[in-house]
Amino acid sequence: MSQMLLEVDSLDKRFGGLHAVKQVSLAVAKGEIVGILGPNGAGKTTLFNLLTQFITPDAGHIVFKGHSLRGLKPQKVVALGVARTFQLCRPFAGLSVLENVLVGSFGPRVHQPDLVERAMHLLEQVGLVSKAEVAAELLSYGDQRRLEIARALATDPELLLLDEPFAGLGSAEIEAISALITQLHTEKKLTILLIEHKLREFMQLVSRVVVLDFGEQIAEGTPQQVVENPRVIEAYIGKQGVTL
Amino acid sequence: MRGLHQLDRSSAVAGTAALGTLAIVPVIFPGNYLMGVLTVAAIYGIWAVSWDFMCGLTGRENFGHALFIGVGAYAAGYMNVQIGWGPWWSLPIGMLLSALFALLLGFPTLRLRGPYFALAMLSAAVIMQRLMLIFWEHTGGEEGIQDITPLIRNHLHYYWFVLVLLGVITFVLSWLARSRWGLILRAIRGDEATCLAAGIPITRYKIISLVISAALAALGGALYAHYQLQVSPQLFSIVTSITIITMVYVGGMGSIYGPVGGALLLTFLAEGLRDVGEWRLMVYSVLLIMIVFFLPNGFIAPLWQKLRATLRGR
Repeated sequence: MSQMLLEVDSLDKRFGGLHAVKQVSLAVAKGEIVGILGPNGAGKTTLFNLLTQFITPDAGHIVFKGHSLRGLKPQKVVALGVARTFQLCRPFAGLSVLENVLVGSFGPRVHQPDLVERAMHLLEQVGLVSKAEVAAELLSYGDQRRLEIARALATDPELLLLDEPFAGLGSAEIEAISALITQLHTEKKLTILLIEHKLREFMQLVSRVVVLDFGEQIAEGTPQQVVENPRVIEAYIGKQGVTL
Repeated sequence: MRGLHQLDRSSAVAGTAALGTLAIVPVIFPGNYLMGVLTVAAIYGIWAVSWDFMCGLTGRENFGHALFIGVGAYAAGYMNVQIGWGPWWSLPIGMLLSALFALLLGFPTLRLRGPYFALAMLSAAVIMQRLMLIFWEHTGGEEGIQDITPLIRNHLHYYWFVLVLLGVITFVLSWLARSRWGLILRAIRGDEATCLAAGIPITRYKIISLVISAALAALGGALYAHYQLQVSPQLFSIVTSITIITMVYVGGMGSIYGPVGGALLLTFLAEGLRDVGEWRLMVYSVLLIMIVFFLPNGFIAPLWQKLRATLRGR
């Protein structure tokens, strides 16, 4: 556990009476794909918001590549190499697909002189190059998801946080996005932290799973270990369990 | 950067031609009345284009633009009449003072979401109008400040001077709007959270844009003061701000050049409506409502885009 890219220790957040994230600790090694699993309201998105400093934690530590992220502005977190997507796609309405990706590349991590060429290359990777000039809000939901990923990639991240990348997609789209994530992981050597609901695709993608329930970390392990864990079955899957 | 930083040539040619035409109109049709209306129209053009740069691009609508205009105008009046400085000091000092106001107001208000920025700016302008009455010993109260010296005595030359400034400002802001800067401002209009996720320091961009917008509005305010040769608290009124916003909507929000057309059109319309007096604001308001309903993109900018496409034979 020495060469960890991201280390989270006893992270805590309350919203008034709601204890949204309770003493969560986790670590992600370089090159891993780690999944965050949990029922609705388990605090998964809050955890992402805390990691990216969209919300400030009440207590705990977040260390990325030796830098403490706590108290930084969201744009500084991006500048250090952590990018995120949103559960509900949030493209820049009124901007073209290409412009959406360009906006992601204005940070300090990108040094290529020709940003348009770079953006077009990213669009090619996610399969949107033919729609570069289309207004972003006119894209289908699956394509918006691809755009969301391309925009995050435009910031040149080392750690990519994907918030329910399959939400609202049909099975064909899920397969395509799943393949894209695998491809990014292998080709770009990206470390990925992924929140998901869709169990089957999720379990195929990730190497390790952290399970949250009511803001509390109730299990951690390989996908197989996690689905066999009685607490997880009770909290999330139901009494029958699930087959991989 | 390919695709950015490019002003298309047809727009630049059309803009220059339009300014050239405006410049020779009072030569062909001499008369102080027409020249006066044209000068005021050009000043409104500066106000509209400065509003559009910040508010049209970021979608953060400033209902207190009159504040910056008034600061520029009163700075001109105060320095010129009360202190006795030469009229040319008005322009830089008015702009600087207004930029300072923008910084002070922008820091707390531009973090607000929803309509609060608009409301905060509206209130700030109303407060300034009140302050002008409270500190009447310095500001002249209801009467305002009289006997301001003109910048340029020849009316035609002054009109040309204002027109050149309008042209330069419109050109520079259009260029900025097409640069990386403009793209970021439009992205802020699209979604602020996504901007943060893309690593954009949104507050900084919004505040600097407001400062630019405020400084140019004050420039217009000072030009106005040195044209009317007096300033009054009416300048700070909500009517001033709403008139400018109407001009931007008519011209095409976010297009930069459109609001200049909107300003010219509505200034002439307002002159035509002089006979209906008090009803003027109502006509303006009805026009604004109709445009928001039927032409959400305004009509000057969409009209030009259509014309340009036709010229290119598409």
